[in-house]
Amino acid sequence: MEINRIATADTVFFWEGCSNHQLRFQKCDECGHVRWPASIICPKCHSMKTSYIVSEGEGEIYSFVIYHAVFNSNFKNKVPYVVAVVRLKEGPHLLTNIVDCDFAKLRCGRKVKVVWRKIGEVTVPCFQ
Amino acid sequence: MNYTRIRKLRDKYAIVGVGYTPQGKIPGRTAMSFYAEAGANAIQDAGLKKDAIDALICYRQFPAANDEPEATPYLVAQHLGITPAILSQESYCPRHQFIQAVSLLEAGFCNYVLIIYADNAVSGKRMFINEATHSESPAYNFAYGEFGFVADYAMAARRAMHQFKTGPDTWKEIAVNQRKWANLNQMAAMHNKTLDYDQYMNSPYLAEPFRRLDASLISDGGRACVVTSVERARDLRHPVVAIMGVGEANPSVDIHQSAYMSGPTGAKKASETAFGMADIKLDAIDACEIYDCFTYTVEITMQDYGFFSPGEGNEFFKDGKTAPGGKMPVNTSGGLLSEAYFMGLTPITEGVMQLMGRCGERQLGEKTGTNKPEIILCSDNGGVLQTHSCLILRRL
Ligand SMILES: [Zn+2]
Repeated sequence: MEINRIATADTVFFWEGCSNHQLRFQKCDECGHVRWPASIICPKCHSMKTSYIVSEGEGEIYSFVIYHAVFNSNFKNKVPYVVAVVRLKEGPHLLTNIVDCDFAKLRCGRKVKVVWRKIGEVTVPCFQ
Repeated sequence: MNYTRIRKLRDKYAIVGVGYTPQGKIPGRTAMSFYAEAGANAIQDAGLKKDAIDALICYRQFPAANDEPEATPYLVAQHLGITPAILSQESYCPRHQFIQAVSLLEAGFCNYVLIIYADNAVSGKRMFINEATHSESPAYNFAYGEFGFVADYAMAARRAMHQFKTGPDTWKEIAVNQRKWANLNQMAAMHNKTLDYDQYMNSPYLAEPFRRLDASLISDGGRACVVTSVERARDLRHPVVAIMGVGEANPSVDIHQSAYMSGPTGAKKASETAFGMADIKLDAIDACEIYDCFTYTVEITMQDYGFFSPGEGNEFFKDGKTAPGGKMPVNTSGGLLSEAYFMGLTPITEGVMQLMGRCGERQLGEKTGTNKPEIILCSDNGGVLQTHSCLILRRL
């Protein structure tokens, strides 16, 4: 996959960060809210004044599903795999994969840390 | 919220006709053909002439399959041979149709509103993957193998399992109870197929914790109804089924960022508005027709409505309490799980038909060992719990 396919005009900073193994988010200069999805305004206070932070890459599993069915032929050899929402310490909820894990140990609330994976040319954040 | 103004709308508008089509797996038909048939049948069922219809509201139209023309609201109107003053079609599922109808009628912009949903989802091999939208780019979700509504709702259900006592033991009750209703409904896709707990538990996982039998059907067909004033309804052919209360709420946040996926969902606020308008309490409800895209959706909706506390769903649904003969019948057509998928029109039109007394073998009352219904609570929900509509229907 190419970065210009996965990034939008709003998320170029995020994917550029990923290519340097940095999980970057926007932080509102007015109210301090760290937001995701990326946006031109803060959804809390509508300020457009924005800084960028680098997340420590730590968080917990908010929820997860284990894909057993093949919904797309590209994933035929990947099932079963785990799609999760990770709640980062800084606040954002990020859709991701939990990789190299023992399914029996998966729990909501389990602490996880970012690991980087390459899909084609794109480096994507996964968690472990 | 102050209900003084909307309370004046209580029992002022009615659903006066329901339109069905052949449904299930019906090969060789376009989505448009189901729109036209459902719409025409609803108009005829109400005992109206087509030219009376001055508003057409279409549910979300999914992208056309098989290189068919898109079923735009213009084309639906053209096929029905009507030129409505008001024309509307929603995208992406906000469940606004009945509040919109009541508001338009109350304002005086129109007199007869036709509401339709149709699709040829089986024949068109619709996967309900591209139809699910998210806060990220499609390529982002593809990279992680995130595909469609089953896993999205399963994500919510998993979080609920963490927050309170629920899971397959609760959901199997919902699936089995609804199947018993479908077994009484000749139109239901699962009419001839019984379901027991073992079959549910042996159903393969699609996206764990959801099994195939947690998921709604995919259907060819359509469903429609006509809304007008109670005053006009009294001159029409069916018993008057009034809209006693209606409410809507839109938490909107994508499931990927949602912190409400295990409740309270929009069901709570929407029902507060509907009950505020109707000026009744839960104990007045005789039966429920709950939007059941997945088993968990029924649980979280009824939990948010206040039928039971978080984690007490198992107790509520077990021993067939929501099945034929049960104290609180739920999804008496079989619902989206076991009858057919026509978005909120599956539950809502079933509520109407039950109150009109037109449900044959599955008719609530003596025939099914249940209370004869006067008031039925209906729900509709869209996106991934992002939008909710609650409707209280009453036979006048
Ligand atoms: Zn802010």
